[in-house]
Amino acid sequence: MTHTHTRSEILRGAKDALPIMFAVAPYAMVLGAQASQVGLSLVEVGVMTGLNFAGGSEFAAIKLWAAVPPMLTIVLITLLINSRHIVMGAALAPYLQHLPKRKVIPALFFMADEGWAISYADTARRSLAQQQPAFSWPYYWGVCLPFYPVWVGFALVGAAIGPALGNIEAYGFAMAFPAVFIVLLRSMWKGPQLACSWLVSLLVAILVYLTVPGAWFVFAGVIAGMLFTYLRAVAQ
Amino acid sequence: MISMAALVTIVGMASATYTTRLAGYLLLRKRKLGPRARAVMEAAPGCVLISVIAPHFVSPHPEELIALGITLVAAWRLPMLFTVALGVASLAVLRLIL
Repeated sequence: MTHTHTRSEILRGAKDALPIMFAVAPYAMVLGAQASQVGLSLVEVGVMTGLNFAGGSEFAAIKLWAAVPPMLTIVLITLLINSRHIVMGAALAPYLQHLPKRKVIPALFFMADEGWAISYADTARRSLAQQQPAFSWPYYWGVCLPFYPVWVGFALVGAAIGPALGNIEAYGFAMAFPAVFIVLLRSMWKGPQLACSWLVSLLVAILVYLTVPGAWFVFAGVIAGMLFTYLRAVAQ
Repeated sequence: MISMAALVTIVGMASATYTTRLAGYLLLRKRKLGPRARAVMEAAPGCVLISVIAPHFVSPHPEELIALGITLVAAWRLPMLFTVALGVASLAVLRLIL
């Protein structure tokens, strides 16, 4: 792999990640502001976002936070909310076989939803076009790494300016994340068969969200969609 | 400053998260998947994304449902940045007028 190729792949990744920064930055600020309101210091916000780097679980932790945080509960909720990463990593695994383990393990630290989804969609596209290797290593870094300073940095900004931020969600940013995810879904679209699996996931996730308190709906939706796909494959 | 309790909790969270990020790769890294497992793993990424945003489809606020509908239509044709901008803008406008 040539030097210029590596650089152009990194830049291609960063370019694909850029529009999503506009959705991520305000959320990071909301997280920081909420964290400071429940008593986390700037350092604590920086350490949490920097070591954990998974937004959904951080919002959940902040909701449960107290003077002495309920550690076990927070860790278990984190595990539940982030269990989807197991599936995400598994989906990527077949495309990573040409890379040594010692390179992949640190890279997976940065595998957050958005970066993973863009990189996976790119991999699927390249695989379909018979490009080798389907998984572009420099592209992955170009996509995933920029989210890190944006997430940690804007969380710190949010924590620092805190209440001055006001209710940022009132401006319509609530639609930013579903919009990002819907565009990513479209880029993974491969026809009605796949869409049926997604529909099963959606319906089960909604049902569980409406009936079971807590974060179980993601877990249930993912399992249901995968199970449906498996049973259909068995039947065919 | 950082309290001991906060540090322990955060390190616990971070370990849980990193474990989930490594687990799928470490489990499947050397496996050759059969056709059924391949079909499942091909559908799984979309299942993850749609499940995460599922609550938005049953929002109690009508303006959020309308904005979601606009976003769905926009995503069909428009690139990422325009879809996100249109989704955010339409929700902001709908909140003003509804």
